[in-house]
Amino acid sequence: MKKQIRKYSPLIPVYAAYLFLFLIGRNLPGMWQLVAMLLFYCALGQAFNIFLGMTGYVDFGYVAFMGVGTYGMALAITRLANVEGLATAIIVIGFVLALFMSTMLSIAVGAVALRLRGAYFAIATIGVNEGFRFLIEGAKIWNGSEGIIFTAQLNQILGREAASALSIFWADVMVLVLAALAAFVTLFYMRSKIGYALTALREDEDAAKVMGINVTKYKIIAFITSACFAGLLGASSWALKTPYVFPPEVFEIHYTIEAIIIVLLGGAGTLLGPVAGGLIYGISKYYLSVFLPGIQLLIFAPIIIVIIVLFPEGVVGMLKSRLKDSTLARFLI
Amino acid sequence: MVLEQLAGNLVQGVVLGSVYGMATMGLSLIFGVLRVVNVGHGAFMMVGAFIALWFFNFLGINPVIAILAAFVIGMGLGFLFYYTAMSRLIKAPELATLLATFAMGVLLQEIVKLIFGSEFRGYNWAVGKISLGITVLPNTKLLACVGSGVIAILLYLWVNKTRAGSAMRSVVEDSEGARVCGVNVGGVYALSFALGIGLTVASGVLLTMFIPVGINPYMGGGYTLKAFVIAVLGGLASPYGAFFGGLVFGIIENGSYTLFALMEGVEPFALTRFLSFVILLAILLIRPTGLLGGK
Repeated sequence: MKKQIRKYSPLIPVYAAYLFLFLIGRNLPGMWQLVAMLLFYCALGQAFNIFLGMTGYVDFGYVAFMGVGTYGMALAITRLANVEGLATAIIVIGFVLALFMSTMLSIAVGAVALRLRGAYFAIATIGVNEGFRFLIEGAKIWNGSEGIIFTAQLNQILGREAASALSIFWADVMVLVLAALAAFVTLFYMRSKIGYALTALREDEDAAKVMGINVTKYKIIAFITSACFAGLLGASSWALKTPYVFPPEVFEIHYTIEAIIIVLLGGAGTLLGPVAGGLIYGISKYYLSVFLPGIQLLIFAPIIIVIIVLFPEGVVGMLKSRLKDSTLARFLI
Repeated sequence: MVLEQLAGNLVQGVVLGSVYGMATMGLSLIFGVLRVVNVGHGAFMMVGAFIALWFFNFLGINPVIAILAAFVIGMGLGFLFYYTAMSRLIKAPELATLLATFAMGVLLQEIVKLIFGSEFRGYNWAVGKISLGITVLPNTKLLACVGSGVIAILLYLWVNKTRAGSAMRSVVEDSEGARVCGVNVGGVYALSFALGIGLTVASGVLLTMFIPVGINPYMGGGYTLKAFVIAVLGGLASPYGAFFGGLVFGIIENGSYTLFALMEGVEPFALTRFLSFVILLAILLIRPTGLLGGK
């Protein structure tokens, strides 16, 4: 039992950070909006890290999974709004649909892209979000380029008051739950056979293969897990918070970039990294947009280059190597 | 009627395809020599487009001269990025170079946006048009097509007939062996990267002849994807393969647009873009060495 607890002790700083954020948001007036944004970035980083951090593969099309998750929730709400007696069950169905759709897309993409390595993998994925967006717009699936607006249906299902509480509070709580869950899954993978296999793969894929590790299997597991979280994140943070979905918005590559920056800032492949990265990125973005509106990316782009060249391990990676022999190291992975 | 329209569009496709091909040669050159994928490719083309715009609208200088200027500016950018970042990342994992080139692209976009704003712009260089019977071709497009061909031939001559070119080929063949024989491998990397970026920026000028009012800081994203499709068609590491890949892609794009336009209830433009993504995946899966077998 004690061993089990020790095994999961690195979760303590992560959950402490989330709890702290939640308490700030609840108790300090006017802070909830910022806290909600920070939670979103932490969750995004944590979910993206499961694949990028553990395998070292860059999935440029990651936002596509968030996009289809958003569509899953939107479709559940619009198609089922008139069915009697479902009420809040529709939201649950929405999450299930989001999960299902992001899983299906990740299987389809993974089946092709995960056969490829390194640069070829990145090239194959860079078009996924654009490709899916143009399929929806071109073939006029799910209302095509007009998108879906479902404010009215959401009000009809839950009532105006509950719908508004959902969008300003409960959707963000859901994001918090997802962030916590993603952290748990990350640690679970790290501490299991999956994590060791993925580490071997990240260091030297050929050697791992020769050792008899089924690298494809573990890559697919990490890819699908990461995609599922993206889908649920889209469903809660996008669909429930702002009840509409437009293809150019939910397939915008900008969100993939943000995820990459967060993971790199904090330290790819670490558990606490995405939290640190999410907080640093979110807070600096928030204040930059207040004081220097419109030029956040102009500032972040050179920062990415500097981090890659000078600090490829990120904040947590650096802390980890500094504190190697102290007791604190147990909480940092 | 439909066939005539299709034939006309295919001719347009070949003309556009030659520019696509030339625009992708830089990408393939950089991958071939440095094994680095320039994910910010489209942003460098966008810089070329803005150079053409700026030369024409503000300085009144002909786009033909802008091609040369863009090439020189592009070489400068290439050397700058190589020595500040890329030179330290050659031995790093692929993740690092992918993100670094991506960040370079974003940086360029944001700088251009800061200077020119984010609205769509264009310039109007009218020098007549030529009728081919099935279709009408503006002289500017014809010029871009010829220009692409000339640049492709010049690159071929440079790689195969000069000392610097043979040093480059030796590095591609075996970088350790080249180093032992006294080739300055770092210098070859720097020159190849700069040359690749120079070609890409210059291609942005040629591209403006096809998009009268489509110049915008974020125009590059779509071209990055197209360039990947074309580079993969040509085998990714071969600049000449890329040129022919461009011709093939131009034909596929214009041909499929004509066919999609006949279908009911679809948006042909978006479907064409979707098709290019499908082609990319199909080639990567079935024939990753490209249609020409990497030659």
